[in-house]
Amino acid sequence: MRGAASLAGSAMFVAPLLALLAIWAIVVPLFEVNPRVFPSIGAVGGAALDSIRDGTLIAHIGASLLRVGLGTLIGIATAVPLGVAMGVSPTVAAFLTPLFRFFSVLAGIAWIPIATLWFGYGFGAIVFVIFNAVFFVVTYNTLLGVQTIPHTLRNAAWSLGAGRWAMLTEVLLPGALPNIVTGIRTGLGFAWRGLIAAEMIATNVGLGYMLFVARDFYRTEVIVFGMIVIGVLWLLIDRLILVRIERATIERWGMVRRA
Amino acid sequence: MKTLSLRNLGKTYFDPYAGAHVTAVHDVSLDVQQGEFVSVVGPSGCGKTTILNMIAGFIPHSKGEILLDGTPVNGPGPERGVVFQSFALFPWKTVLDNVGFGPKMRGVPKAERDRIARDYLALAGLSHAANRYPNELSGGMQQRVGVVRALANEPAVLLMDEPFAAVDAQTRMTLQEELTRIWQDRKPTVLFITHDVGEAVFLANRVVVLSKGRILDEVAVDLPRPRVWDQLVDDDEFKRLSAQVLQMVRAA
Repeated sequence: MRGAASLAGSAMFVAPLLALLAIWAIVVPLFEVNPRVFPSIGAVGGAALDSIRDGTLIAHIGASLLRVGLGTLIGIATAVPLGVAMGVSPTVAAFLTPLFRFFSVLAGIAWIPIATLWFGYGFGAIVFVIFNAVFFVVTYNTLLGVQTIPHTLRNAAWSLGAGRWAMLTEVLLPGALPNIVTGIRTGLGFAWRGLIAAEMIATNVGLGYMLFVARDFYRTEVIVFGMIVIGVLWLLIDRLILVRIERATIERWGMVRRA
Repeated sequence: MKTLSLRNLGKTYFDPYAGAHVTAVHDVSLDVQQGEFVSVVGPSGCGKTTILNMIAGFIPHSKGEILLDGTPVNGPGPERGVVFQSFALFPWKTVLDNVGFGPKMRGVPKAERDRIARDYLALAGLSHAANRYPNELSGGMQQRVGVVRALANEPAVLLMDEPFAAVDAQTRMTLQEELTRIWQDRKPTVLFITHDVGEAVFLANRVVVLSKGRILDEVAVDLPRPRVWDQLVDDDEFKRLSAQVLQMVRAA
């Protein structure tokens, strides 16, 4: 039952993408579209094979994933404790909330110019942009998560003998987890866009760089292939990692309202 | 002899909506003996939940004293177990881990606290649900877990705040019968808050009637145990006691 349902779900997800491919396969040869404007499927396939064969694809993906991974880890590691600390102190939360809402909107791409001034062109600036995209959103969502834990749950833990540390690890963190995961999904979305933008400006390797350099040589097939890789990688990260974490924890606990 | 003593207990707080100080509890003195089951009954707004929250340590009291075994209580503590109207189970813990939470906080090793939790789950007829999560259980089953979770911590006094108000009428009667059975088995000291007169009389050794933040009167209940609804529903003594308490509550 469940297998059939998930198969149907996958089909629903893939069908529009296949339709898009079909349109592409028909329109480009039919109207003899200039390859400098948009490539044929075959040319993109060729670009894919070339970049796999000469190892540049792996190098670009590896560089991009390393930056995203590191920036995200630093972001989560700093944002969750801060969010919890804010959540347990109403005064601190009330004071900082407007700031975090403001910076949540600003997070990511808008920081690229100043990040390159602080860290120079390269690894540091890009990781900072990723960190930034994740940090504010995750902090704000962690705060929200802690605040929405029903007060009776804290009272229950207290009256069962929980101290401060147990309150944190047994109640506040798991209780805030649905919001934390939402924050990470949103933040990673920002981070992924920020990464591509930053790599166009501030480095010499990575998926964003791959797109940007190809533009200089009118290599539309490389650009389109790069765009596909960026989209597919994001879907894989979201479906295979983030959605799975949600399923294994908060959905099982009946704490999530949407699928 | 562990005894809960309330001495001239009072609670006044500032109500921002009324823009004035409100006295929820005026002057309550009450002693609960070890192994006693005391029901506190009264209409909504009589201050009964405020009293329970003060004893539990969730809110500070404004005047008087709360003594447990002669020692004043301040803040929440594991010697005062609480059963909540909203169950307050941890959604991220299995039933077994919910019940084992108190022992875990005491530092009881995993194997031992699992044994304790299984023992209490068996007492409530919940052995089959040990590995379930709370959201997979009915309201009645969740509150059974709530009761044994508090008991598994072996508190000196068990505070129950209208624990069966959120379940349907049939389930409520079953839970009441199970609670009297568990009480006979383990003899915990219980302070049970309710607005339901029949429930108060059915469960308790003693019913305390509360009105407008003061104790109005109290009634001893010497009905034989085990108590089951099928018998008590036509029992003259039960009917007489219920009528007597109801009259006090309505006059309140």
